[in-house]
Amino acid sequence: MTPQPEQPAPAEQPTAVGARPAVTDADLLTRHIGGDPHAFGEIVKRHRDRMWAVALRTLGDPDEAADAVQDAFMSAYRKADSFRGDAAVTTWLHRIVVNACLDRMRRKSVRPVADDELIEAAERDTPGPDQTAEREVSMEVTAALKLLPADQRAALVLVDMMGYSVEDAASVLGVPAGTVKSRCARGRAKLAPILSHLRNRTDLSRVSSAKGAELRDG
Amino acid sequence: MTGDTHYDLEILAELAEGLLDDATAHRVRQHLAVCDPCGESLADLATVREMLATVPVPAMPLGVAMRIDRALAAEPNPFAIPAHSAPTISDIPVRPTLTSVSVPADEPVLATVTPLRKPSRGRRAWLTSLGAVAAAAGVFGVTTLATSLFSSPSGTVAEPTTSVSTPDRSPQRALAYTVRASGHNYTSRELSGPLVGYFGPEPGTGTNNDEQLDACVQAKSNELDRAPIAVDRALYNGNEATVMAFWEDQSLDKVRVVVVDDNCHELRQDGLATWN
Repeated sequence: MTPQPEQPAPAEQPTAVGARPAVTDADLLTRHIGGDPHAFGEIVKRHRDRMWAVALRTLGDPDEAADAVQDAFMSAYRKADSFRGDAAVTTWLHRIVVNACLDRMRRKSVRPVADDELIEAAERDTPGPDQTAEREVSMEVTAALKLLPADQRAALVLVDMMGYSVEDAASVLGVPAGTVKSRCARGRAKLAPILSHLRNRTDLSRVSSAKGAELRDG
Repeated sequence: MTGDTHYDLEILAELAEGLLDDATAHRVRQHLAVCDPCGESLADLATVREMLATVPVPAMPLGVAMRIDRALAAEPNPFAIPAHSAPTISDIPVRPTLTSVSVPADEPVLATVTPLRKPSRGRRAWLTSLGAVAAAAGVFGVTTLATSLFSSPSGTVAEPTTSVSTPDRSPQRALAYTVRASGHNYTSRELSGPLVGYFGPEPGTGTNNDEQLDACVQAKSNELDRAPIAVDRALYNGNEATVMAFWEDQSLDKVRVVVVDDNCHELRQDGLATWN
């Protein structure tokens, strides 16, 4: 419990607290393979939120995401010795989580749908405009993402939502960088009409509100 | 390619990714120079990227985190060598952890309320003056709680007192934490941090006699197995709310933010924020 100075901070920033974790992920994994009962738990603690974000966005469903992340961590726990030091531990974990998600998505057969069907479905899944703007966008995006093929969705989650480089996403997905780029391009092309439709609908409903009128009239 | 014909979104998206061969890219750019609808489509594609990037990062819900912890705990380490005791990381400080403080059950709970009497008074001013104290607090480490540090009403800072775990065997665990009543109307964006400006301890004392709030903070602390950094009775998107901040990872300046209503029901999913 160390309240710290407000930013911009004076020089007295406590140094001991802000330090980076001294033990690396790779160290922890080595200890786990060495039989340490606590090391893997620390890895989970460090990365579970990011893994959760990836799974939730890829699958678009909290229950599915929870199962996928749990499966992935259990699998990583068991086959930790399959980790080769040539990639970062985080990349390896991401790969296991993304694969767990893709497996789940492939198990449900997805039939190709037409664009107008996509828009209708996204509209149905998107709640009305009584949400905060931020939450609204987030739900719209989630609903729209669900309509993309699994490969495109996974690429967009990693690159556009999580902000990873195309190269990092490529090594997580195990495909060439060019493939990631083209999946992203096709995914964005499919999302553009859906999201712009939802956005227009939201803008229209906002204009009737006081705040909307204020914005409109300056 | 001009006139009535337009490029489809996929071609435009591939252009933006640099996937088209030079000749095609040149042709599409020439068309874009004269075609407004295609230019708008290209802008729509950029908006898609922006929208995807602005979706906030959700924290893993507690229930899921606990379920995974339990599943892992139930599974023996497949690499363990039964006869030998390998060195464990529990001997090595991986990162600072917050330990909640045990006090005897019959002692009053240490929660204090620091109402924000004059919101206009420069919060910034005294917060900055706390810099040195905060640094000093660092010396006392993670078991030192703010309640005892910033309880002086005059704005001068009290002598830091470490909260000590008593050896009392009492099973009940009481928490020491600071309760503010800022009445601030938080937005989701503000709650993604930095939070120190909103939550930073203020001088002022009072007793938290709200048992319901106390039970709720206690419940959340038990769930998370750590003491809150701070608790603020405020508003969230216009609704009365109690906002609790817990360290998620102090070394990474990560804070878990829990927002509940008067009945201790969560008003939104736990979110992650920064403190500084």
